[in-house]
Amino acid sequence: MSYLAHLYLPGALTLWCALLFSVATLWGYAAVLRGDESARSFARRAYTFFAVSVVLCSALLLLALARRDFRIEYVQQYSGLDLKWYFQLAAFWAGQKGSFLIWLLWGSLLGLPLRRAAGKAEAPVMGIYTMTLLGLVFILVRESPFVMLGSTPLDGAGLNPLLQDNWMVIHPPIMFVGFAASAIPFSFAMASLWRRQYDGWAARAFPWALGGFLVLGCAILLGGYWAYKTLGWGGYWGWDPVENASLVPWLFGTAMIHGLYMERTRGRFRRANYVFASLTFLSVLYGTFLTRSGVLADFSVHSFVDLGISGWLIGLMGVFIGMAGLLLALRLREVPAAPNSDPLLSRGSALVMATITITVCALVVLVGTSAPLLTRFLKNPGQVGPSFYNRVNLPIALLVALLLGFVPYLTWRGEEPRVLLRKLLWPAAFAVIATVGAAVAGVHEPLHVAFVLLASLALGANLKKTIEKARANGIGRAGGYLAHVGVGVILLGILASSAYDHGAKVTLEQGVPQKVEDLTLTFERSLPRTATQRERMEVKVERADGTSYLAYPKLFMNDRTRQLMVNPYIRSLTLQDVYFSPIEYDPGQAAGGGQTAELAKGQSMRAGDTELRFVDFDLNADGNAMKAMEAGGPMTIGAVLAVNRGGQEQRVRPLYRFRPSGEVESTPASLPGGGMVAVTGINASNGAVRLDVEGLGSAPAQPAKLSLDVTKKPLIALVWYGLYVVLAGGALAATQRLRQALQFDRLPTKPTS
Amino acid sequence: MNRKGYYILGGVLLLAFAGFSLASFKQTLTPYVTFAQARELDRTVQVAGGLEKGSAAYDTQSGTLSFNLQDKASGETLRVAYKGLRPANFDDAISIVAIGRFDAKTKEMQAEKLLVKCPSKYQGAEVTKTYGS
Repeated sequence: MSYLAHLYLPGALTLWCALLFSVATLWGYAAVLRGDESARSFARRAYTFFAVSVVLCSALLLLALARRDFRIEYVQQYSGLDLKWYFQLAAFWAGQKGSFLIWLLWGSLLGLPLRRAAGKAEAPVMGIYTMTLLGLVFILVRESPFVMLGSTPLDGAGLNPLLQDNWMVIHPPIMFVGFAASAIPFSFAMASLWRRQYDGWAARAFPWALGGFLVLGCAILLGGYWAYKTLGWGGYWGWDPVENASLVPWLFGTAMIHGLYMERTRGRFRRANYVFASLTFLSVLYGTFLTRSGVLADFSVHSFVDLGISGWLIGLMGVFIGMAGLLLALRLREVPAAPNSDPLLSRGSALVMATITITVCALVVLVGTSAPLLTRFLKNPGQVGPSFYNRVNLPIALLVALLLGFVPYLTWRGEEPRVLLRKLLWPAAFAVIATVGAAVAGVHEPLHVAFVLLASLALGANLKKTIEKARANGIGRAGGYLAHVGVGVILLGILASSAYDHGAKVTLEQGVPQKVEDLTLTFERSLPRTATQRERMEVKVERADGTSYLAYPKLFMNDRTRQLMVNPYIRSLTLQDVYFSPIEYDPGQAAGGGQTAELAKGQSMRAGDTELRFVDFDLNADGNAMKAMEAGGPMTIGAVLAVNRGGQEQRVRPLYRFRPSGEVESTPASLPGGGMVAVTGINASNGAVRLDVEGLGSAPAQPAKLSLDVTKKPLIALVWYGLYVVLAGGALAATQRLRQALQFDRLPTKPTS
Repeated sequence: MNRKGYYILGGVLLLAFAGFSLASFKQTLTPYVTFAQARELDRTVQVAGGLEKGSAAYDTQSGTLSFNLQDKASGETLRVAYKGLRPANFDDAISIVAIGRFDAKTKEMQAEKLLVKCPSKYQGAEVTKTYGS
């Protein structure tokens, strides 16, 4: 029973209920499948109770965070008194356990509409879907977020400063919606194979597949924003394993929606779609394993540490790989497939090639990300860097752009090359103009020229088709083409911003102008923190034409961890972003040099010709400090110092103020005869005070220095705009397919074209 | 060309791409090696270790940071030179991964990239930052 004593019981109880009800759901649907129709309402009710348990469980963790109940280990580990309320709540998904819980939460909620949408296939689909969630429940029961500490700490360890960012509030939860949604097409596919009902699953799964694609796409976009705009990693994508873990399922999902489109319109890809649905879900599990098990700890910028759940993750993955492998091996041959009779220059053939290309791209990224694991069995494990991904993806991107340029004007029955070229006349003219423009701007490498030509052809052709289609059938029908316009835009943005970025790393001395390419930078000053702003650096940027602006990269110390944090400053212009990423700040020293010391009561220190002795704390420097603390207001403590210079003793009293938010402020005191003294910390356990004394020695002044990474990134905005267009197009397509899926349920006939 | 011809062509292209990917994989793979191996191998590798106390020096003229990487088990050291800015909190680093190539002439590893792990109060969650391009 000692195990129980260490759990927060209401929370643990909801998890056990979730386990119980998910097993009951499985049992119920199993009975339905054996022909006991009366078990259906039992199974449905059990699933509802399961979802309610998970919601309650999440609510309890959220409540514990809101109450800052540091008895609970998870709350203690990931949150603290200094956090703003929204970071305190976002600590929910800051750790492994909480992120599995939010995954389970979204998964269980998605099951409610899925139950209705599954139609006749409800029992097998919900059975398999519940199994995917059961795996998460097992992990959470084993690694409960409700473990309690033996004592009640006064404060938590706080949230990792890198995560204290507004993007942290929205990016991870959206990502987990995408992960949870990937199980839905998988469940449809497996149920269809299992029950030998090969018709109809594609229509039902299609809107879910599109929805998952959209959500995961949004999450990747937000992650890119986060990396670019505030983390100061210099780019939106670093091919880091954690990033790849979300990209691979998204690519397989992209292949899947194209396959489902083919199945719905032409009855093709009927076997391949089972594979795509499996790969999408299994790659989510595999990515989770790679990033959560600690196998990549030495290779990733931000993979989690091992929680001791590697075995569970491998088991979970094994079960579903086994399930998918077995069903595919046994049943795939039975699935009726139409022979490929499309001519080469037809939409069907182009789609086949596109799907293969996207799949190859996903596989290549998967292999690259797995490098540390794959090479583990060789003599020396290793990893591949961005250069691998950039190199192998260049031909893939070229082929994708080529296919995208032709596909809108290819018909199913095939096209004469002459007719096709006539239809592509205007887009081709646009592409040629864009390419000439790029060449003038400095794009000379042959592969890059071809890239610009094909990507702008893709953009032009799909834009023309989108407009034509929107005029003829309404914009709702043009979603696919619109998404392809966005892909063309993204490709151009990626090439320009990654292959043609340029800049330099510089160290600026305060007040001394320095040239970086055509800009002249002067580090003006370091601005202190205000109520709304972090500490900022002010850098004057003068352009060649004499105009100038001020850049404010941020660089500050996290109060709790003393960890240096940076936020870049981005000057966004139409044609390029200028990116100022701070690297290091050296505050320099006033003449005389500085000195620090920690003094207990009665101890003294020497700085130059002066002796400072710490006499006592002054708790009444600004009202009674103890009372202020009890009232929850700011608390001010003074340090009484006896300063002896040339036999003359005087007392000074620098102040130290704690705010309830956790921020601290120090008010320095001037020393008689020059110099300053400030309190930089108080050690409550031994009653000592940490002092910073400046201006007493004889060292010469050191100017402050700021190191910056200044980069110009041409056309980077196209990457963001392109993704918006892709997602808007995807949303239109999803709406369209949802409508069709609902019609399909009303008219339960064979799949229509 | 008939249909079969296209399939063969497609297959050949796929195989060619697989070969190209494999070659790229081998070329760009940076294996984790011991200090001794790093000195012998004429290729980009990565080594991990701790910072030997007091060994780090920054030459502002050439903008080069040099330091001794120390094997945590054997205590053996490897001199590393990194052309670039000195990473923040470098002296507090508890573990450093250097990616680069050993230069037999200077007897130093010329690092292109440093992964610096700094201690953090968070249980188990060290903060890693990557420097270099």
